[in-house]
Amino acid sequence: MKRWKRIGTTVAVAAVLVTAAAVAAQAAGDAPRHVEFTPAEVAAILALGPPPAPPRDPTNRVSGQPAAIAFGARLFSSLSLSSTGTVSCATCHDPARAFADGEAQAHGEGPGERNTPTLLGVAGQRWFGWDGAQDNLWAQSLRPLLDKTEMGGSLSHVARRVRDDPALRASYEAAFGRAPPSRDEVVAVDVGKALAAYVETLPFPRSTFDDFRDAMARGDRAAMARYPLLAQRGLAIFVGSGNCTMCHGGPRLSHGEFHDVGVPFFVAPGRVDPGRHGGIEKLTASRYNLLGEFNDDPTRATAMSTRHVAAAHRNFGEFRVPSLRNVARTAPYMHDGSLPTLRAVVRHYSNLDENRLHADGERILRPLGLDKYDVDALVAFLESLSPPLPPSR
Amino acid sequence: MTPVRTWRPLLALAAGLGCASGAAAQACGEALGPGTSLVENSGYVVAYRTEPAPVAVGQHFAVAFAVCPKGGAAAPQSVRVDAHMPAHKHGMNYRATITRGPDATYRAEGLLFHMPGRWDLTFDIAARNTTQRLAHAVEVR
Ligand code: HEC
Ligand code: HEC
Ligand SMILES: [Cu+2]
Repeated sequence: MKRWKRIGTTVAVAAVLVTAAAVAAQAAGDAPRHVEFTPAEVAAILALGPPPAPPRDPTNRVSGQPAAIAFGARLFSSLSLSSTGTVSCATCHDPARAFADGEAQAHGEGPGERNTPTLLGVAGQRWFGWDGAQDNLWAQSLRPLLDKTEMGGSLSHVARRVRDDPALRASYEAAFGRAPPSRDEVVAVDVGKALAAYVETLPFPRSTFDDFRDAMARGDRAAMARYPLLAQRGLAIFVGSGNCTMCHGGPRLSHGEFHDVGVPFFVAPGRVDPGRHGGIEKLTASRYNLLGEFNDDPTRATAMSTRHVAAAHRNFGEFRVPSLRNVARTAPYMHDGSLPTLRAVVRHYSNLDENRLHADGERILRPLGLDKYDVDALVAFLESLSPPLPPSR
Repeated sequence: MTPVRTWRPLLALAAGLGCASGAAAQACGEALGPGTSLVENSGYVVAYRTEPAPVAVGQHFAVAFAVCPKGGAAAPQSVRVDAHMPAHKHGMNYRATITRGPDATYRAEGLLFHMPGRWDLTFDIAARNTTQRLAHAVEVR
């Protein structure tokens, strides 16, 4: 509570500075060109970049290898891996839609219950999936092949496809330097690793905001002034009174952990999506987590998070804080796709129903009570996290 | 968590080593090398250093520390390291594991501060059927 008030004051001061700058600029007969950020805000803004480059993955021995990336790209759009031959990764992670699908909830071989996230920039996360049920990208890439509602296959189906399809078999041999072995599970995990090697190459697109942030880092005021003023005001709310960087901080605009922001988690009457609580159960039970035999990092130093993760009652109904990079291109929003637009998301935070937050949960969020102008500003900022749209002709 | 008898935590701001006093405190944790912070109460001095320092939000870190009994307090039987955010009423999403080194030194691994702000890093020292908690405030950006 105290902290909240203190931050409120900082922002009030910032707001005064902003207004003063704007008024001064207008008085000079000039359009206001940029917000004067406080030193604390500048530090918070600089921390939101640069966009992280995908790291090489030591848990995957074919990470970064061209033959594996090529095999993964082929697998990504291969319908034959699904049990009915009608669904591929690209069905839901459509390259033309920022590797998402534009649907509220995914639909593969059956109806899903969660929203399809983008794959741009996904490599290097600590946890994968809305519930963090996977601790690595190759297990996350294997999961949909086996999921009944996604591709409905099995370890043996996947292994058979690779052994029997001459093109897939040749790509497998090029990537792994051997014929597909007889153990189905080994072949299927390798398929996951090739898919991961490909998905790793999908970078975050560079955004309008990144240009502003880098200009700020260089102290280049002329370049800073090219960033729309409304977005700058939204940014001031984002790092200030909105408290958004508490969770959506750092170069990914996510600290990569789990929270409950009051999105209802009923999936059907009487049935809930347990979120992180179920995610930890699945993670620890998985044969494909980083503590298991398929991690290619012999030191297991990469299993730090999995070795230490602790379940708590509050994890029930918590979901992973999504990256906000490129968020304007990945509607609809939230784990269940229940909010259709960025404006709806901002209104959600503005009018937050505190009764929906768990009684035994943490005390972080308060309804922000934004006015229409603040809402417009935050939406403009969130839109600036994507590349500029090509000029319309 | 089992209910433990806790002394009122002695909080010192991360900025300084100001709270430590006396020769015992000065000597505690010498084996850890330079850059340690000191926390103490009537029974113990804890000297610690985070790796890396400072701690970054959302990244795992370790705590190398030493526990030094003073004024006839019993040597610790077990030590636990944890952390929480008082303003938000939540702890970490990870449970630290502790290994013991030479010279009453320890190493806690697997900690992670997932939000910026003030965290209280706590050392629970169990000896002779009581547990004392020493806490140190860390401001994470
Ligand atoms: C039926 C639609 C569908 C198909 C097909 C599908 N996915 Fe997904 N994908 C999803 C959904 C929904 C999630 C979120 C799952 C969750 O939270 O449990 C997801 C999550 C992911 C993630 C984690 C993203 C993150 O931010 O954590 C990766 C990586 C991924 N999918 C890769 C793949 C690959 C590779 C394939 C093909 C083998 C594939 N997906 C097939 C719908 C699909
Ligand atoms: C307490 C941590 C926390 C804070 C503070 C927070 N968020 Fe979120 N945000 C989340 C989580 C968790 C989700 C996903 C929730 C879900 O799916 O149930 C989310 C989802 C979103 C999404 C949807 C992204 C997507 O791809 O679906 C947007 C946009 C967003 N937040 C913007 C903001 C803005 C703007 C603020 C500040 C006003 C903010 N958030 C403050 C944790 C937080
Ligand atoms: Cu917190």
